[in-house]
Amino acid sequence: MRVLRIAFLNIYFYLAFVLFSINSFAALGSLFIVLAIILPKRQAFKRLRRMISWYGAVIIRILPFPFVRIDYKDLTDQGQEEGPYLFVCNHRSASDPFLMAIFPYEIIQIVNIWPFRVPFLGFIAKFAGYLSVREIPFEEFFQKSCSLIQQGVSIAVFPEGTRSRNKTLGQFHSAIFRVALETKCAIVPVCITGNELIPPIGSGLLHPGVIKIHRLKKITYDEYSNFSPFKLKNYVRDIIAEEVKLMDQEK
Amino acid sequence: MTEQEAIKMVNEVFVDSFEIDPSKLKPEANIFNDLGLDSLDIVDLVVALQKKFGVTLRSDERIRNIRTLGDIHQFIFTLKKELNK
Repeated sequence: MRVLRIAFLNIYFYLAFVLFSINSFAALGSLFIVLAIILPKRQAFKRLRRMISWYGAVIIRILPFPFVRIDYKDLTDQGQEEGPYLFVCNHRSASDPFLMAIFPYEIIQIVNIWPFRVPFLGFIAKFAGYLSVREIPFEEFFQKSCSLIQQGVSIAVFPEGTRSRNKTLGQFHSAIFRVALETKCAIVPVCITGNELIPPIGSGLLHPGVIKIHRLKKITYDEYSNFSPFKLKNYVRDIIAEEVKLMDQEK
Repeated sequence: MTEQEAIKMVNEVFVDSFEIDPSKLKPEANIFNDLGLDSLDIVDLVVALQKKFGVTLRSDERIRNIRTLGDIHQFIFTLKKELNK
């Protein structure tokens, strides 16, 4: 029975994924051209980034439902404040970037090289300002990231740099924390569990499951202004590690 | 400078500049995997070591082979010995 469920989920999901993506990219491209004509560039890009988030939300919340469910908890007491924020997440699965659609902000992501190589998706992401940290010098990454935050764009980042092969949280890279110190942007720790098999590393096979996402209390510049980049990255890492451990222990 | 002095001073850099718990400062500790430094932190480390020991490290090719804290101890001790000749 389980094998049948997995087979059905994957056949149905990937078929729907391809069809929805082709149609979305066609619609997105056309709409952006219209927006770019009638709106200032900044506004056109703002809408493009929101549309990418809606695309991601359909991919992760609607298409695999009810086999894959999202259990999102906002553990802040701050409500939906205006951004921008630096969303700092742990990284276990290739589905993580799609999960960022859960946040209702204009958002770009810091990605590794491979997402930019995905046909169409990679092109749109690059065009929308997503940054491939390994393909550009740090100075360029730093300048572009600061500029985006100053424009009000939130950034989602997976500072482990690569998916963890077990449930241990990897060491964090400090690049984005240097951006935080420069821009004084609030940092939001985000913990993701349950998607280790959605899909597993080295495979595209989706397994049914519940993906838990916890948005933790933001860390403001006042709290970290006297930290070094090294101390800041480990401070955020410890917060995420503690919450992820609790989430893994929950049934 | 004795080897023990070099070890003590290098460890002070890790404690003062990176606030790393002294109990983690074992010679076999990998500076990336165990101590959590990345390539950008290494730049900060080099600056801090240069300041602490009054030496220039950036142009020294041997720095590329450093992996563990023990490697740094040995590198600094050797460098200071060479400079004092």
